[in-house]
Amino acid sequence: MAHLEIDNLCASYGNTPVLKGISLDVEKSEVVSLIGPSGSGKSTLLRALVGVTKPTEGTVRIGETTVDYRSAASLRSVRDSMAIVFQQYNLFQNMTVMDNVTIAPIKIKKWNKAEVRKHAAELLERVGLSAKHNAYPDELSGGQQQRVAIARALCLRPQLLLLDEVTSALDPELVGEVLDTIRDLARDGMTMLIVSHEMGFVREVSSRIVMMDKGAVVEKGPPAQIFDAPEQERTRDFTARILSH
Amino acid sequence: MNYTFQFGEALKELPYLLGGAIVTLEIAFMAFWSGAILGLAGAYGLVYGPRWIKRSVGTYITFFTNTPSVVQIFFLFYALPEAGILLSSFTAVTLGLALNSAAYLAEIQRAGFLSVRQTEIDAAETLGMSRFQMLRYVIVPHIARTIYPPLSSFFIWLVLGSSIGALYGVEELTGRAINIATSNLRTIEIFLVTALIYVVLTLCASVSLGLVGRYFFRVKGGLLR
Ligand SMILES: Nc1ncnc2c1ncn2[C@@H]1O[C@H](COP(=O)(O)OP(=O)(O)O)[C@@H](O)[C@H]1O
Ligand SMILES: [Mg+2]
Repeated sequence: MAHLEIDNLCASYGNTPVLKGISLDVEKSEVVSLIGPSGSGKSTLLRALVGVTKPTEGTVRIGETTVDYRSAASLRSVRDSMAIVFQQYNLFQNMTVMDNVTIAPIKIKKWNKAEVRKHAAELLERVGLSAKHNAYPDELSGGQQQRVAIARALCLRPQLLLLDEVTSALDPELVGEVLDTIRDLARDGMTMLIVSHEMGFVREVSSRIVMMDKGAVVEKGPPAQIFDAPEQERTRDFTARILSH
Repeated sequence: MNYTFQFGEALKELPYLLGGAIVTLEIAFMAFWSGAILGLAGAYGLVYGPRWIKRSVGTYITFFTNTPSVVQIFFLFYALPEAGILLSSFTAVTLGLALNSAAYLAEIQRAGFLSVRQTEIDAAETLGMSRFQMLRYVIVPHIARTIYPPLSSFFIWLVLGSSIGALYGVEELTGRAINIATSNLRTIEIFLVTALIYVVLTLCASVSLGLVGRYFFRVKGGLLR
């Protein structure tokens, strides 16, 4: 049974439709990657899943539960099970690394403070930032900030992690450290839906890839199909263009 | 130069001058806080209000930042009585400075509102924060940190700017210095001592504002490094 099931999801900005009936599944412990040209709606899909952009049509099921994006209670439970990391580092500038990671579990979930901090310390160690507990975001490099953002997302113990081009705002030499962190998570069985332009990485880490264009799914399949034997012309063009860079 | 300094007269009047310094601080505090609150409302209107509010606040700011505060206070002091509203000189000066400060403080606070980044709001929302939690943990601290340095400098400016009260007979520090100087004619000594008191006032204010900024708002720079 699919862990996340998206059926005919639509969303628009004002009157412009941006997602035109997206359907896809993510199984437990699976890594699914979204690829496609810029403007094809990948970010909007992730934002719609967590309800930052409200879907206009379609259904999303997490486990057994169907999400109702208009109900505050339902939104809360969505945000309990899914965590998202955006392309732009969006750490809270006024808080230390430790506070960034622990604020939601401690202040919002009211989990036990000592346990949360212990968990946060483990997560920071895991993303290679144990020395930075008391640093502020503006004292960190982009790659470090993005790794803190991943730790912050994980501290809520989500069942599903959404990553939106988490490396594309980084200097090239900082990309590797963030990809290593994600690889690590994949190895540990974290269920993830990833948007990335790092094709080598996408190929290596994904069990399935979804190619999107103009707000719709063009093609879905395992990496070997998408990269070596795509069924659609547009997929071939896109991967050829990206890989030739 | 054959002027012989005689500080004896000036020092005798020190308690009187220090009393004036307290009036100076009173004016600065009251003008600052009422200006800040009015300015906060103005800034909120400028950023989130409907068009007519934005326009009215904009006109207010244009008027008060493009006319001298001396003229504004003259208006309160001499024109309002014609309309049957009598203000003491202390009230007229404090009110005038408050209305004037409101214009500048609205601009400063507006910049604070605009500095809140949508990405942080998105993050707060997806971490499950309610509107109130977002305000409390993300938006207000962020604004406070952004506007703290310009607000501090503005307060210092007000401490000095309140000397305008002397023009209207308010017995704040400058007013009292003028009073003494005209009676004992030790003008140079009196004003040297007065200047020194202003320096001490603003230095104390800078240092304490700097400490508060450093420990509560993580503001760097200023006199403390
Ligand atoms: N906040 C917004 N307001 C209006 N249009 C938007 C907004 N964000 C994205 N869009 C539009 O929606 C489409 C999909 O954008 P996006 O989901 O960001 O694509 P991708 O992440 O695949 O590059 C684009 O045409 C983009 O211009
Ligand atoms: Mg995008």
